[in-house]
Amino acid sequence: MAEPNTATANDDPHGIRQDVDNPATLILVFVVLIGLALANIGISGAMGPTKLTLPLQLAIASVQAGLVAYYFMHLRQGDKVVILTALSSLFWMGILFVLFLADYLTRHMVVG
Amino acid sequence: MSIAIEPQGPIAAPPPPEPDPVPVNYLNNGYSIWSWLFTVDHKRIGILYLVSISVFFLAGGIAAGIVRLNLLQPDGAIVTEDAYNRAFTAHGVMMLFFFLIPAVPAVFGNFFIPMMIGAKDLAFPKLNLASWYVFMLGAILAIWSVLAGGIDTGWTLYPPYSTRASQSHVIPGVVGVFISGFSSIMTGLNIMVTIHKMRAPGMTWGRLPLFVWALYATSLIQLLATPVVAITLLLIVVERMMGIGIFDPTIGGDPILFQHMFWFYSHPAVYIMILPGMGVISEVLTCFSRKNIFGYHAVAWSSVGIAVVGFLLWAHHMFVAGISFYAALLFSLLSMLVAVPSAIKVFNWTATLYRGSITFHAPMLFALGFVVLFIIGGLTGLFLATLGTDIHLHDTYFVVAHFHFVMVGGMVMGYFAGLHYWWPKMTGRMYSDWWSRLAAIIIIVGFFLTFIPQFYIGYHGMPRRYPNYPHEFQIFNVMSTAGASILGIGYLMPVVYLTLSLFYGKKASANPWSATGLEWQCPSPPSVHNFEKTPVVVCGPYEYAIGVDQMGRGLPEPPGVDDNPARRSGITGPAGPMNKETEVVG
Ligand code: HEM
Ligand SMILES: [Cu+2]
Repeated sequence: MAEPNTATANDDPHGIRQDVDNPATLILVFVVLIGLALANIGISGAMGPTKLTLPLQLAIASVQAGLVAYYFMHLRQGDKVVILTALSSLFWMGILFVLFLADYLTRHMVVG
Repeated sequence: MSIAIEPQGPIAAPPPPEPDPVPVNYLNNGYSIWSWLFTVDHKRIGILYLVSISVFFLAGGIAAGIVRLNLLQPDGAIVTEDAYNRAFTAHGVMMLFFFLIPAVPAVFGNFFIPMMIGAKDLAFPKLNLASWYVFMLGAILAIWSVLAGGIDTGWTLYPPYSTRASQSHVIPGVVGVFISGFSSIMTGLNIMVTIHKMRAPGMTWGRLPLFVWALYATSLIQLLATPVVAITLLLIVVERMMGIGIFDPTIGGDPILFQHMFWFYSHPAVYIMILPGMGVISEVLTCFSRKNIFGYHAVAWSSVGIAVVGFLLWAHHMFVAGISFYAALLFSLLSMLVAVPSAIKVFNWTATLYRGSITFHAPMLFALGFVVLFIIGGLTGLFLATLGTDIHLHDTYFVVAHFHFVMVGGMVMGYFAGLHYWWPKMTGRMYSDWWSRLAAIIIIVGFFLTFIPQFYIGYHGMPRRYPNYPHEFQIFNVMSTAGASILGIGYLMPVVYLTLSLFYGKKASANPWSATGLEWQCPSPPSVHNFEKTPVVVCGPYEYAIGVDQMGRGLPEPPGVDDNPARRSGITGPAGPMNKETEVVG
């Protein structure tokens, strides 16, 4: 599986074989994901509820989500439209967060 | 844009010969139950959806009947308060999640998107079938729970009542809605990929029928919003089953968080419901006024605009829920924005009708009903979006009237317009012209009688979801119930004459309305793979003025136009381009 792509043009006209996932990579990514999950749980236990705990945990979770998207959801092999789709869903999440915060961050402000 | 077709002579091109009736069409290609349950034909799946949502529409209608009958008397005429709560919840859940949301995308989208873009099927036929099974699974669970015991929270399922106090079947209902959400995602994904990847040669984005544009925008919402409500519903289950504090303030949760997450889906979801209806209307209005759509690009992009802007205004449902004052101001302002693309559509439809050769067949009557009722619904939406007035109007019958005008007056009308427009294509039979027009008129009259009084009592303070009310509102509630009965009769009439048409109806020709879209190039009912040869598209979707379809061939004589040659869709008749402001999209 790790050997370079030796297929002739006829053999692999659409370059499909190049796009096939490499199981070794997938397993490695999976192990990393589990490792990060354990690290996340460990950190929350070790640090306790400090100001930094939540941001740190969310940062780890974002890395995990990124790995899932890049390897498991095949953004690695995606063409422009697929990347654009992925980015636009991030943008939509941005809408969700920004407008939520428009409420939560200003709720204590007094009117008038 | 340049004119793609150079018409020669009074009629641009002779109409194509009526395609030979195919011995095997999608309907007679196998009669066994398995040939339906295991089909991957987008047309048969559309019919499966049609049958199932018709049943749910009936069930939801019966629940509405209970609500309306109970409101005949100020202290509740027929059921207990508790049963009343369960009845209006059952009505809302069934109508919204199991009728309106799948109605046009899953029935007409499945059936006609491939045909309108010149493809043989959707991009993922098996996913399509799977979506129907997932839908039915969710529907059976949810409908079982609203019928056996019921849910008493209202369709909005607000915690902490739904998670802590309610003694009803919240969990199976919520899980059912959760499951059926996946079906909505699957359909949206399928339609979107199909539109991107499977258009026939020459079918550029600028030549797509507006129905296709509308469903593209709808799919965008389905894909981006549905996951959020799915998670939210799961959180309800988690809190209710395990007592983990997410929304319930007594155990550390935040009830407003639920409302934010719920409406982040459910406001865009109202556009899942209305956009496909708008797509149908653009098809029907052009066909029955024999004119090109006014402002193709404006109508197409306003669909996408509604889909995007529709995500920015959900908190207008929460003005009095305790959100920040500044956020309320912001959301009030943003809500006004969505009226702009909606108004663009309405103005363009009206301009399309202007000086058209209008015939009033049933699809057109429903479409005109849509336009009028949607205008009222949309304008009253602006009253509600205005922060100051909403504080007075929130949770009253004014809101109930508003959303019924847009959803029933809008979407259900659009659904019926589509059903009557495409029925000859789907079944190969014509239905009774007279009865169908009568049904359209009865529905419109019944609708006004039902919902106009609700604006009045709502403005004067009758709250929604209450079984009891002061005496002076009784007359209006009686009017409303009377209207609902008329409406009910109107909705039952198509069941009768459409069913009869299957057995006794005249055989439909391939293009009975003399329409331009590719779907009318297939025989009626369509053959299994829709097109014998992949069609080649040479012009825009609505070239009624020069009288050619999307393949550049002539149109048959439209129905109901008298046989005066000057009235034909030639160059110089009143329907011709010399006499008409028309824009040719090519
Ligand atoms: C012109 C654009 C629209 C505006 C500005 C608008 C505005 C609003 C506002 C502000 C409310 C909240 C009222 C309250 O609870 O106090 C509301 C409720 C509602 N609207 Fe609209 N609306 C519009 C179009 C639509 C459309 C097209 C639909 C559906 C097809 C729709 C369906 C609903 C529903 C279902 C509710 C009530 C939800 C509930 O509380 O159960 N609206 N609308
Ligand atoms: Cu809304």
